[in-house]
Amino acid sequence: MKRALLALLLCGAVAPAVLAQTDGKGYLVGSFESNSIVYADDSVTNAQKAEGNFGTNNYLKADYYAGNFSAGIQMEAYQPALVGYPNNLEGAHLTNYYMQWADEDFAVTAGTFYDQFGSGLLFRTYEDRTLGMNTAMLGARISYQYKDIARLKALWGAPRLGVEAAPETQVRGVDGSFSLSSLLGWGATNLAFEGSLLNRYEPVSPIQEELGANASTMGYSARLNFERSGFIARAEWVDGGEKIYSNPNILIDGKANLIKRGNAQLVELSYSGGGLGVSFTGRRMEWMASKVSYASSQTNNALNYLPALCAQYSYAITNLNPYIPQPGTTSGFINSGEIGGQLDVYYNFRRGTTLGGKRGMKVNLNLSTYYNLKEEGSYVPKTLLWRNVNVGVEKQVSRKFKMQLLYSMQEYNPSHGEGRGTWLSNMVVADLLYKYTPTFSTRMELAYLTTFEDHKDWMSGLLEVNFAPAWSLFASDMFNHGDTKIHYYNFGFSYTAGRTRVALSYGRNRAGMVCSGGVCRLMPAYTGGNLVVSTSF
Amino acid sequence: MMLLISSAAMAQIPSVKVEDGKGKVINTSELVDGETPMIISFWAVTCKPCIRELDAINDVYPDWIEEANFRVVAVSTDDARFTAQARSLAEGHGWGDYTLLYDKNGDFKRAMNVQFTPQVYVVDKNGNIVYSHTGYTPGGEYELFEQIKKLQ
Repeated sequence: MKRALLALLLCGAVAPAVLAQTDGKGYLVGSFESNSIVYADDSVTNAQKAEGNFGTNNYLKADYYAGNFSAGIQMEAYQPALVGYPNNLEGAHLTNYYMQWADEDFAVTAGTFYDQFGSGLLFRTYEDRTLGMNTAMLGARISYQYKDIARLKALWGAPRLGVEAAPETQVRGVDGSFSLSSLLGWGATNLAFEGSLLNRYEPVSPIQEELGANASTMGYSARLNFERSGFIARAEWVDGGEKIYSNPNILIDGKANLIKRGNAQLVELSYSGGGLGVSFTGRRMEWMASKVSYASSQTNNALNYLPALCAQYSYAITNLNPYIPQPGTTSGFINSGEIGGQLDVYYNFRRGTTLGGKRGMKVNLNLSTYYNLKEEGSYVPKTLLWRNVNVGVEKQVSRKFKMQLLYSMQEYNPSHGEGRGTWLSNMVVADLLYKYTPTFSTRMELAYLTTFEDHKDWMSGLLEVNFAPAWSLFASDMFNHGDTKIHYYNFGFSYTAGRTRVALSYGRNRAGMVCSGGVCRLMPAYTGGNLVVSTSF
Repeated sequence: MMLLISSAAMAQIPSVKVEDGKGKVINTSELVDGETPMIISFWAVTCKPCIRELDAINDVYPDWIEEANFRVVAVSTDDARFTAQARSLAEGHGWGDYTLLYDKNGDFKRAMNVQFTPQVYVVDKNGNIVYSHTGYTPGGEYELFEQIKKLQ
């Protein structure tokens, strides 16, 4: 509360100076989103329901811009939250509010803001409504840029957990970037050095203190960025600072808390040119899960960003068992972290070439593999956690017909590395779009998954009828014919008029991971009608 | 009349920092050149309809550019971890005619109030947003071209 008042005071101090500079040519923009579900009984899937058989998540955001000045708010209402969302999302709150003054080189923000250092391994606060994630900092930030040579940013505040700023956590950070190539005026080459410092403060319990835990801990990140004629190389080295891993179920040398220092390494190499895009990402991380608050076990309790770096799937059947990164765990068994990487290749066979044909052809290949670490401090892989091979082809067959085919092999470790057993599945997807007229089309998805493990084989189908740009109707079914014989059906429509979109659907949803941007949360099974309304102004 | 216009100023391209295809930081206000209208599309590697829409525009781009003066700005909303993939995808989908931007921290996305992707805007030569649309249904790109033609 004290911090909220201080932030408001800061806003108050900045406002008069700023308003004096604007000449009344400001404008207001905003957006509204409402996602509601009426839950139905469904004994087949043991479907979960919200209290009162109804859940609704609502977001209202408004921003005012006038010259160099801007200010904004966000309100959120969970009445109650949809099933499967973190428990700390409840009630109606003014969750975010900020004021900002920014010109070409200088910016100051008071209130809530989102930021990240480098790739987010050390620090990232962000919003992802699919995950129920909003870790916006409440505090202040100053940034300064000197030409395109140097940038410096300093911030202080309390990250958000649930609907309000974490009461006891404080984060202070500095992030800088220096471009050697800009300083020396190199034309074709970019070379930049970057670095960050992050201080995290949260009081520790006497027991944790006895074990050597500190309330205040420092983390560091050093980065290198290089770019020349389509070739990009980036490297990042992170000391994640001290972490407290607690687990009442397991006693380590008789202790319920484990104090560890995190570290991570990231390498990214990519080349693009002549219709070819290739990128490789390698990452190793150890004890890297950074929390907003030690006390909370909610999925939106994260102060950094550790996504799965593997193929990102957009078809339901390919997302049954997505990869969950293992940045170090003491839950159930002890493992310090993971190592692995992915390779992505995109190629465009141009029009008029043998394979490209009259309308060209696009191909994509993704390979990824991850292992947990042999032992603490090691770079040696031990147990396979995940592996995938993906091949995608996209072809405009005729003026009216477009075809996308995907083959995917996924190997997944259900014990997350505690045991060696894996589930191997092979999937094929055909995504067929047929345009009858320029604005009337149908799209069909047919998919099949085969495996000897888990619930054995699945099949799925989807039919979408589109009347552009306003209407889209769909019906789909995903059927587990290998074991449970359960149909996961869904049907509905969406209507879009400019910036307003209304989507209504009804269906049965399986329990499983809901992923967004490589981060996942567990969703229980539910059946019901879903209304999503979104608009912006 | 003048009063009305100034008090109901149109939403404009905000001034925030994003990265270009080479990883250099640029200001989004630099997109406005006083001459060329733009289609600005927010997309992501994981967003199939977004990629479908940008591919559809790319397919008809040679015909459209003969009829009207405009640019396409494709803003990747992928965060830092997926920008390498996003860059490779843009190359492999032949989006060489587009201005490619990478909004890693989501600043541009937030300032434009993008909630869902695909989200597309038609912007006049002075940076005023004249049309926007959420979601993509095949064929929806023709509406964008109608809007662009009105700005010629």
